[in-house]
Amino acid sequence: MDRAHTCLPPETAPFRRAPSQVMRLDRMGCAHPTRLSFLRTLLRRIEREGWVFDRPVWEIDALGVGRAVYRAKGPERTYCLVAFAHDLPDEMRSDRVIATAWDATFALFDGEPTKADLDRLQANVPLQEAGRISPRELSLSRANRSVRLFAHVIDHLAQGQQPDIAEVESVGYLMRTTAVYGSGKFGAADRAAIADRPELNAPFQIEMLSVWLTRQFTVDIAEHLAAVQGGAKAVRLDPAIRRMLGVGNSTGLGMAPFLVRHPVLLNNWMMAREEALARVRAQESVTPQVADELRTALSAAQVNAAKWTSTHPLQVAKLEALRKDLDLLANWLGDWPAPDALYPWDALWRWAEAELSLEGQEALVALMLEPHGALIDDLAEQMTADESATFRLDGAMTTGALTCILADHYDWALDIDFDAPENIARFWYVSEEKLEPRLGNRFAEDGAALEQPLCIARLANELHAALADRPYDEPLAAFLLAHPDHRFMARRAQIAANHPFGEVRDNLIAEDMLPIDLMRCKLACFGASRFDPRSDKWVRISLFQDMPYPSDICPGGWT
Amino acid sequence: MTVLHEDIEAMDPTRSGSPMPTGKSASLSLNEIEQLCLKAARGAGMSWGQAEEAGFAAAWLARQGLDGPGALLAQLQAAQDRAWRDICPVVDAGAFRAPEGGLLCPIALGSALCDYVALPVMQCDSLRIGPVTQPILLLPFLSDMARARQQPVRIEWPGGAVVASPDGRVAGDIGALATALPVEAELLIGSEFATRQPDSDPMAPMVVAAETIGALNTLAMRITVPASDVSRAGAGAAGDND
Repeated sequence: MDRAHTCLPPETAPFRRAPSQVMRLDRMGCAHPTRLSFLRTLLRRIEREGWVFDRPVWEIDALGVGRAVYRAKGPERTYCLVAFAHDLPDEMRSDRVIATAWDATFALFDGEPTKADLDRLQANVPLQEAGRISPRELSLSRANRSVRLFAHVIDHLAQGQQPDIAEVESVGYLMRTTAVYGSGKFGAADRAAIADRPELNAPFQIEMLSVWLTRQFTVDIAEHLAAVQGGAKAVRLDPAIRRMLGVGNSTGLGMAPFLVRHPVLLNNWMMAREEALARVRAQESVTPQVADELRTALSAAQVNAAKWTSTHPLQVAKLEALRKDLDLLANWLGDWPAPDALYPWDALWRWAEAELSLEGQEALVALMLEPHGALIDDLAEQMTADESATFRLDGAMTTGALTCILADHYDWALDIDFDAPENIARFWYVSEEKLEPRLGNRFAEDGAALEQPLCIARLANELHAALADRPYDEPLAAFLLAHPDHRFMARRAQIAANHPFGEVRDNLIAEDMLPIDLMRCKLACFGASRFDPRSDKWVRISLFQDMPYPSDICPGGWT
Repeated sequence: MTVLHEDIEAMDPTRSGSPMPTGKSASLSLNEIEQLCLKAARGAGMSWGQAEEAGFAAAWLARQGLDGPGALLAQLQAAQDRAWRDICPVVDAGAFRAPEGGLLCPIALGSALCDYVALPVMQCDSLRIGPVTQPILLLPFLSDMARARQQPVRIEWPGGAVVASPDGRVAGDIGALATALPVEAELLIGSEFATRQPDSDPMAPMVVAAETIGALNTLAMRITVPASDVSRAGAGAAGDND
């Protein structure tokens, strides 16, 4: 049993939401970033530990081609983002997975690279998938410019002017990453090799550090090119405008199965957030200062909701609901907390559950956590997972006991009629040409025989039916010798017994399933904002928008 | 520059697995080995749950500096047309034997041994197993057994002996086990630690031979679906160049 499960104190139990409420896809698809999101965890550590940043290498020429190194010095170890800037003709700019050229390519190096390391990386990193990196590297990534905003910013800075705020706000980033690969991809260091470092123990810290340093690079190269173009006339970006820029990211179907493939991790992410909410609700009172901090967070959320735009009909409706909910909340908070009322946070939450849409409720989760760092930030340490610890099946468990687990934790799946065409309308598969997950139409496309095991509801249903034909006291070991096809789901069900937030409790092959709901949940855990679906299968987001830069923390490192 | 795939569709900026380097040997991370071997095992016909065990076993061996991917490939190539009932163990008190005239798959045998580790059939000091092909692939499972029992597990066969201890170490005639033909063997549980293997860098990357990568990748590609116009539509961010 893992730490996250054993650490829950009984006093928050009455305030905890149930997995049956939290793990529904429509609610997960309304998730908002919170102070437990991974990029916030990274920035808190950097501030707490006094990390130092500088840019020891800047070998970029007048065309914007060359290399740069961004150094991040923590208390024990140093990490360096090695950036390669390219002169990419517009006609070659593509976010396709197997594009062969990008505006910039990056690797996060473990330690400080020598010139020989930089040369080795220069021969491989710009090739991305076609190159190889080594265990000295922790991530591999690339970014493309926003053609419109990048040119606009350079032209204005070169002429001594600041860019148009409306333009900056409408795009929100100078570059967008098109892939950030960690965890042993392309020969990089395995997660297991570095997971015991405190600064990398929380999930996706390497990727977040890489993107945050990349954000600095996007501004640096724009200012560099403006200086080349404008000479003495050129100015640097106004810090207030600079802060409005994040790093863009487009995320497609490839990310959707991650949450399904990592049930222990998903459990620990959701459980930490839910325990945080329960701790807040369990507070008997609220001080005026904390109440003010909540109102400040709400005002910021209202500003964010006003700037958050999308043209996708689903998201347009959600944004309307969110803005209305935040206004209702602001109004209701006028009389909050009622004098001498016990558990004012719980009263707030109960009101929201009755009055607000899912968007508003999940936004409120983030708002309620915001002023409670001292109360909840320790939970960020419980969001990691050692998946190898839950791999081995308990073969001594009886088939009867496994049936009970299915009845307790997969009741939502056992009720689904998988003979109904609308409940098996889709199938997940991996495409031959791009090696990425896709979602097919079972009745219109070939390939269902090669279905990926992401249809958990159906697998649970089938396991339940197979168990019914066996003696109640038969050990699972014997059942699996007779039914090797159920090994995958049996392992999962045993995990679910100790990880109640590990399953998305919806049918992932249903006709009306929305993959973007899975992505939104994961991206909110990262800390992404301004979620902007471009279809039901891919989304645009922004990372680190309105947050500080390394050069804000260490202004001297950028001279 | 090698372009691994012809890409003629809208982008999708993330993916679940990295393409394998082709035509040359390469240092693969343990993550890459596990994922490649899982997919190859599935492509060769294993159930998803067994394929997970295959990926686990290959990566575990690679972590010890042993050629897990090569051993798994040899197993998959030899066994891919054989039915489950011909390669899974028949379990009796004190014995996990192959069906009459058959050869056990080490993944099927190993996972069954782990499944049964706490059951009465295993509450004995010795166990007859086999005949089993590619017996080196048993080692990861014997290691898990040793950890579960908190006792060393020793495998003895006519060509030597290897001990797996509860702390994850393995020692003995590992080279002989890696090259052994299908063996009948005896498992001794609770036997003494025979020899100590020198510590190696447990995280050193494993150089996997080009032929192994290529053949595993060919098997792995069997579980992928050729593209169609329908599948391409809407999968990613077309014209996303603002």
